Amino acid sequence: MRAAYLLRRLLYSAVAFGISVTIMFVILRLMPGDYITLYLEGIYVIAPPEVVQAYNHAYGIDRPLIDQYFSYFLGILQGDWGYSLSYSRPVLDVISEKLVWTLVILLPATILSIIAGIAIGAYSGWRRGSKADVALLNGMIFLRAIPSYWLALMILLVFAFYLGLFPLGGYVSLSALDTGIDPLDVLNHAALPIFTLFLFSVTGTYYLMRNSMLMTAGEDYIVTARAKGLDDMTILRRHALKNAMLPMVTRVALQCAGMLTGSIFVETIFSWPGIGMLTFEALQVRDLPLLQGILLMDTLIVIVANIGADMIYPFVDPRVEVGNDARA
Amino acid sequence: MPGRNTALYLSLGVVLAYCAVALSAPVIAPFDPFVISGPPLAPPDATHLLGTNDLSQDIFSRLIWGTRATMVLGFLGAVVSVVMGTAVGIVAGYYGGRVDEAVMRFLDVMMTIPFFPLLLVLTIFFRPGIYVTAVIMGLLGGLGSVRIIRSQVLSLAVADFVVGTKALGARDGYIMARHILPNVLPLVGVKFVTSAQHFMLVGIGLGFLGMGDPNVVDWGQMIERASKNGGIVLGLWWWLIPPGLAVTVISLALAWFAYACEERINPRFQVMRV
Repeated sequence: MRAAYLLRRLLYSAVAFGISVTIMFVILRLMPGDYITLYLEGIYVIAPPEVVQAYNHAYGIDRPLIDQYFSYFLGILQGDWGYSLSYSRPVLDVISEKLVWTLVILLPATILSIIAGIAIGAYSGWRRGSKADVALLNGMIFLRAIPSYWLALMILLVFAFYLGLFPLGGYVSLSALDTGIDPLDVLNHAALPIFTLFLFSVTGTYYLMRNSMLMTAGEDYIVTARAKGLDDMTILRRHALKNAMLPMVTRVALQCAGMLTGSIFVETIFSWPGIGMLTFEALQVRDLPLLQGILLMDTLIVIVANIGADMIYPFVDPRVEVGNDARA
Repeated sequence: MPGRNTALYLSLGVVLAYCAVALSAPVIAPFDPFVISGPPLAPPDATHLLGTNDLSQDIFSRLIWGTRATMVLGFLGAVVSVVMGTAVGIVAGYYGGRVDEAVMRFLDVMMTIPFFPLLLVLTIFFRPGIYVTAVIMGLLGGLGSVRIIRSQVLSLAVADFVVGTKALGARDGYIMARHILPNVLPLVGVKFVTSAQHFMLVGIGLGFLGMGDPNVVDWGQMIERASKNGGIVLGLWWWLIPPGLAVTVISLALAWFAYACEERINPRFQVMRV
């Protein structure tokens, strides 16, 4: 049963990805002002027709649309995601190189925010209405309302500019030219971006965990545990926490997708050479092949994260599978 | 909990104040936001309350005018998003079956494409003005509202009072408009406020990434200019901080407002701890 379910899910994601690719194709090829002209406008005042033609030929834009569509689609599947205009390199190469750097800040920030979010959220939900809960909740609402780009700027201004505790940007010091990349030096540069991303995503985890805990705290088995005379902390740890944490599996998947958006601002402000900064650069020079590559990569990450969550969920919560059997 | 009403009225007051500033921008602003009004990069003084930027434009006037862009981005986007979300959500939830299935599958596909990168690609291609940007954001962001409204309508559609009205021979359109809609309105209201907040942040974020409408003064472009052209390196806080602070205050007000409303309408929050 589990295999059939997973198969259906995989098939379904494949369709979703195919449709995303199609949408991307439509956006790229059928819209007013083709992107080659758009890009050349950035170089020439008026692009010579021969140059436009040469570019169009090189990128296959002079072929029939249906031809272009199939070769585009096949290309995507074979790892040919197009050719970046500004980097003069295959898009997938550029993206995978930058993705590593994004993960360097994204992974620690995600893991930290999940741990902290679960801990604070669980406590806050368990002690619903207490002073600590109200203070935490208002603090989180406050934090969530601050735009990430401004928060990043303020953190940069305070910790790097005024206090001088951390570098103003980049990922290594100039000394890396002589000594090679030193992990400690990278960590020093990564600290502020990680901290900002952490603040940016911890609120979401907190909200969900608190809500989940509010629901769990009203369940019958909690009342039973209380009636048995178990002390508060034991109920929280042994009964409430485990059940309230279940929705977090899905949350983690969604968070991966959300953090990519956050990283655009954070990386741009801290000059961190990852996907976010790459997106910003691509926007500045109107490098559409690169942008659509990034969009495809983001889509792929969302799909993979969702499938991952779906696959893990039945192991964490056996009830989900029972529900599936009953329906099938 | 004391203070909840205070938070509600205070946040409502802030939102109204912003609207007032947006409407009366030409009267309040001492200078034209685009005109050269003094020396460049002047620190704050009596004529230029927040100094001038690198183009010698008065920062305070730009801040006032920027309120308009923020309001348009947020509220126009939210109107589009909520109207679409409510209409589609009610129809899908009420009819159920194939209509519902089709809508939900479409949403599943659309929602795998990340909102913000897609918005960036669309913006770079269409180079839309501020109004079109708001509409695009509303349409993309409304997809999430469809789901929320639809799940609420699903249970309403089989509620006794709806089934009863149907038995009396009322038409579907009448039931949806007169019986379903009023019941989802509180949810729609909260969704409107949170959407407005979200679209303001996103719209200003676009400006910050250099994707803003160059004919409009918006806070995102102000922050971008300030951070790029020396605001950080020279430590010019009066240039860098006010636009961001202005966004933060309105965003905070809307967040608190939505939260206070949600607590009132959501029965789950009233369940007390055992």
